Amino acid sequence: MHNRASLGLAIAIMVLAGWGTLSALAWPWKAKLFPLVIGIPLFCLAAAEALWIVFGRRGTRQAAADFQLSTDQAPEVARRRTAIAAAWTVGFFVLIVLLGFQIAVPVLVFAYLKLQGKEGWIFTTVFTAAVWAFFYGLFDLLLHLPFPPGVLLEWLG
Amino acid sequence: MLDALLQGLFLVLQWTTTLALMLPFIYNMQPVEAFAFLLGMHSVVATTGDVTSILFGVPGEATTAAIILDGHAMAKKGEAGRALGAALASSLVGALIGAAALALAIPIVRPLVLTFGSPELFMLAIVGLAFIASLSAQGARGMLRGFLAGGLGLFLAMVGQDPQAGVARFTLDTLYLWQGLDLVPVLVGLFAIPEIIDLVVRGTSIAGNVPAGRISHGALEGVKDVFRHWQLTIRCALIGTFVGITPGLGGAVAQWMAYGHATQSARTPEERQRFGTGDVRGVLGPGAACNSKEGGALIPTVAFGVPGSTSMAILLGGFFLLGLVPGPDMLTKHLPLTFSLVWTIVLANIITVGACFLLLNRLTALTAVPGHLLVPVILVLVFIGSYTSNSSYADIVVTLVFGAVGYFMVLAGWPRAPLVLGLVLGKIAENYLYISVARYEAAWLMRPVVLVLLAIAIGVILYPAFQAWRARARKEAHA
Repeated sequence: MHNRASLGLAIAIMVLAGWGTLSALAWPWKAKLFPLVIGIPLFCLAAAEALWIVFGRRGTRQAAADFQLSTDQAPEVARRRTAIAAAWTVGFFVLIVLLGFQIAVPVLVFAYLKLQGKEGWIFTTVFTAAVWAFFYGLFDLLLHLPFPPGVLLEWLG
Repeated sequence: MLDALLQGLFLVLQWTTTLALMLPFIYNMQPVEAFAFLLGMHSVVATTGDVTSILFGVPGEATTAAIILDGHAMAKKGEAGRALGAALASSLVGALIGAAALALAIPIVRPLVLTFGSPELFMLAIVGLAFIASLSAQGARGMLRGFLAGGLGLFLAMVGQDPQAGVARFTLDTLYLWQGLDLVPVLVGLFAIPEIIDLVVRGTSIAGNVPAGRISHGALEGVKDVFRHWQLTIRCALIGTFVGITPGLGGAVAQWMAYGHATQSARTPEERQRFGTGDVRGVLGPGAACNSKEGGALIPTVAFGVPGSTSMAILLGGFFLLGLVPGPDMLTKHLPLTFSLVWTIVLANIITVGACFLLLNRLTALTAVPGHLLVPVILVLVFIGSYTSNSSYADIVVTLVFGAVGYFMVLAGWPRAPLVLGLVLGKIAENYLYISVARYEAAWLMRPVVLVLLAIAIGVILYPAFQAWRARARKEAHA
């Protein structure tokens, strides 16, 4: 799996660097100096990584000095839960755009606790109220951060 | 200080925005009071930002991302207390060293800083990138991926209006991208989203199945770690101070360079593999560097009137509001005020670290809270933190895109640190490269300090290979 991800990243960087280098050719030298200095070696490095994956010897995975994903779950369970997590994350963004932060925050917390956490009604309601009170008290009352009302609410007037 | 604590913890406002908002309040203050007010807030924000980085893997500030790699890994192993203890104690030591540097270094540093022109500053950026790219993964393949990630960061830093010719580069015809990619949404996505996904996949608390009672323990052990690795802590604090002194590099660079140096302190490749999985040295390095850079950054600001970062430029504005002119006068006529800056940094850090230690047990207990209660709360904080960077939904889109990039990088075993450093250094490096070429053409490559820095960069790249060769030779000698 990590080889496929690595190949995908390498190809994406090749496309990005290639596009960047070609676009830069049309610019004045002041603007194209750095894109060319970075874009060309970046394209070559990405090509080297892609070729290494395709033609190189398959060895053990060498971990980066970075966070590692957990391997406790079976691959299919991990894939399903990853898709669920991604759906909640993107869903929250859609909720924010449609309803605005002030409504999207309690809706997300309530829905997540009820559907994903399988918590009881009372706990879910109290927890959601507490998070909303914290959100409203800190970000709206104290810090006066400007949160727009959301596209749907604006459309409804 | 409470403002700094909240801000660091909840990643809400850009630090520079808050500092700018606070400027009007100093009009009626005496200079000592005014700088205690501004600098007291500014010098501790990285300390409190470390808390969310360690506990949730969400960087409270752009300057506290490096500590996630090992700090959050320790929290997941049930060592949140030790990680926080180490981070707080090392940041205090770093702040004290930075303050001491401010007090002592002004006469020494002046000639050094003045010898650094654009070519040297460009090479310094390249050394920093080589440092982290070569040390963040194992072997030739790891180094290739490190440089790829660093190159990608430099490439992404070019997004936006080019400062020299005004060309809109890689903006995809959107106005939002004209100003370039904001660091906070990128960092939050790159680090927090993969953590959230992993938390959902595991279906447990952050600390997994570690008994709740054990998690808060170990803060004292973390403090002791600072003394066990005192040489590393001091070296990283000095790196932070030096980066702080150097104009344009800033705190985000200091922590990554310190992390790279901490990785380099591993004696064997096997020992280096422990970094990223919860090695306390990966907490001590960035912790010490982040706060020591404040003292360092004040040196050129106070002594030469040359601010090295946006926040220092705002602080310089504070000097002018109070009728003070930074420069030689600050070392003669206004020397007591200069020393009050030193004491402000020292006291603000002591008070903040003390306050954090009092709250430590409560904070670390959060890592035992079930994941399904934390995920929505972290998502809310992540999205609000991202949105408030520019008050635009596009900030959240950037967070989601970089969340996906971060996830695939983790999945593929690519280091994320070089990407961040490339993104931070890109604009600075481009500016210095342009000035170097425009002013000296190719002759800038032959300047003595440039050659020394080039040799250091090559040495840094070759060092892991040398280390592996030495380990092999030792093994063969034993066999």
